[in-house]
Amino acid sequence: MLNGLQAVLYRDINIFMRKAKKQIIASSISPLLYLIAFGWGFGSHVQVGDIAYTSFLIPGLITMASLNQSFGINGEINISRFYFHTFDEYLIAPVSTYEIVLGEVIYGMMRGFLGAFIVFMYALIFNVKINFSLLFIIAIVLHTFMFSSLGVALAMFVRDHASQQSLNTFVITPMIFLCGTFFPIEKLPVIFKAIIHLLPLTYSTSLIRSTLTGTHLYYWHFLMLIVFCAVFFTLAIYSLKKVEV
Amino acid sequence: MQANIAVDVKDIVKTYGTKVAVDGLTFSFYEGQFVGLLGPNGAGKTTTINMLTGLMKPTSGSVLYFSRDFLKNSIEAKSYIGVVPQANNLDRDLTAYENLYQHGLLYKIPKKTVKTKISKLLDFAGLVEYRDKLVKTFSGGTKRRLVIIRALLHEPKILFLDEPTVGLDPQIRRDIWDFIIKINQSHKTTILMTTHYIEEAERLCERVMIINNGKLIADGSPDDLKSTVGAYVLEIYTMERIEELFFDDRQSAVDTLKRCTKPCKVREATLEDVFLKITGRRIDA
Ligand SMILES: Nc1ncnc2c1ncn2[C@@H]1O[C@H](COP(=O)(O)OP(=O)(O)O)[C@@H](O)[C@H]1O
Ligand SMILES: [Mg+2]
Repeated sequence: MLNGLQAVLYRDINIFMRKAKKQIIASSISPLLYLIAFGWGFGSHVQVGDIAYTSFLIPGLITMASLNQSFGINGEINISRFYFHTFDEYLIAPVSTYEIVLGEVIYGMMRGFLGAFIVFMYALIFNVKINFSLLFIIAIVLHTFMFSSLGVALAMFVRDHASQQSLNTFVITPMIFLCGTFFPIEKLPVIFKAIIHLLPLTYSTSLIRSTLTGTHLYYWHFLMLIVFCAVFFTLAIYSLKKVEV
Repeated sequence: MQANIAVDVKDIVKTYGTKVAVDGLTFSFYEGQFVGLLGPNGAGKTTTINMLTGLMKPTSGSVLYFSRDFLKNSIEAKSYIGVVPQANNLDRDLTAYENLYQHGLLYKIPKKTVKTKISKLLDFAGLVEYRDKLVKTFSGGTKRRLVIIRALLHEPKILFLDEPTVGLDPQIRRDIWDFIIKINQSHKTTILMTTHYIEEAERLCERVMIINNGKLIADGSPDDLKSTVGAYVLEIYTMERIEELFFDDRQSAVDTLKRCTKPCKVREATLEDVFLKITGRRIDA
């Protein structure tokens, strides 16, 4: 059953395990820096609504870390597709496109969970109160599925390192800074708000934050995430079908 | 009894923008045949293999395996073809065993049998000691063998080899040749091999298709092809160049040699002579 999916995960997980220690240490640095700079350095006396800024920040960091990890598979796929040609093995194998995409997406989600887990550890260490709930799990599953799918889709279009860099500079980084990750978007001018409401990260940040801190939950944001998931996953399948026979 | 037609390619074309890489190839061959696709760099060999194996869609034309359309039955057809691509596309961060095991998963080889199959092939290729080593530590020849046995793991009916010995030392090239011959004989696998090495095509293939600028320019057994120019060549070394005279048998070549006043030598004709005669240039020039 689902041999193609098993094959993709077998490879990805084996390779990940080989460099897990390095990866985990590397992914632990940036959330810590954000916590020190924004949490301690400037946020210790700031409130956002009813909650302390650090409690506001932690869900944002969870969103950011898991996004970086999930979307990050785009780089890995790119290297294996265009540089080592290992991806060709999938394309010539008797497996369907769905299995390959799903395999990569699940791997991206696993990395996303790891990113989230690291920030959770910091929350424990820094004694920041957050609630863990089923709704949070649904939110993070959708969030990581969405950005892994986007990662796979873009890996098929983006050929070289330079375009990948510009993808990060022009899409991912602005999104991380603008979609409510570090500050509430309510304070932004209307035009900005309108743009921000077109971006998928806005909805995952909102859901992850509400479910973790217990602030008002907009259930329709789940719907938005599901729509984005469907669109990005379809795009990923389509982009792979375009190269495959 | 006539063997089955394994591969039937009709008028395939591939264009990259305005560049026509493969320009209407038509050929077919039987189950069990060892066919070579010989041509200089840039002739369109890799592009052809890519279209036959599902890495690229042809711009036009059709590919049939055992009379069934490849594009319409691609998943089924892919399960009985094996591919050794021009570049060693192994996972460098996995071991030899892991690379093979992953291939086993992709081709739905039952988990019970995959281990013994892998062991047998590692033994067949003389790679037992490399089983648990990371691929990134392997030499070029070792990687090549591993890629080849990976393509054999699911026991394909048709094997595609794209320049199997490109970039290898002469000694290792010979080893790989012996290995490929062993595969064709012991597994009775139908093989289509591309190459730009004359000697490789002559040594290994029972039939050679010569391709230039995406077009088929000659097709036949090495001996038949050579007899179209003459089986023996008398090379006469003049001041400016080497003059070549072709003969159908050795005796007439030697007779002419005896009457020759300039330095000269008799050699057997090669596929290079065939290529030169048709195109006016050398294959590896
Ligand atoms: N992706 C590509 N884009 C544009 N041109 C290409 C591409 N791949 C190959 N070509 C061109 O198509 C021709 C055939 O290439 P190829 O099939 O790799 O030849 P061979 O394998 O015989 O050396 C060459 O002229 C090559 O430059
Ligand atoms: Mg080539």
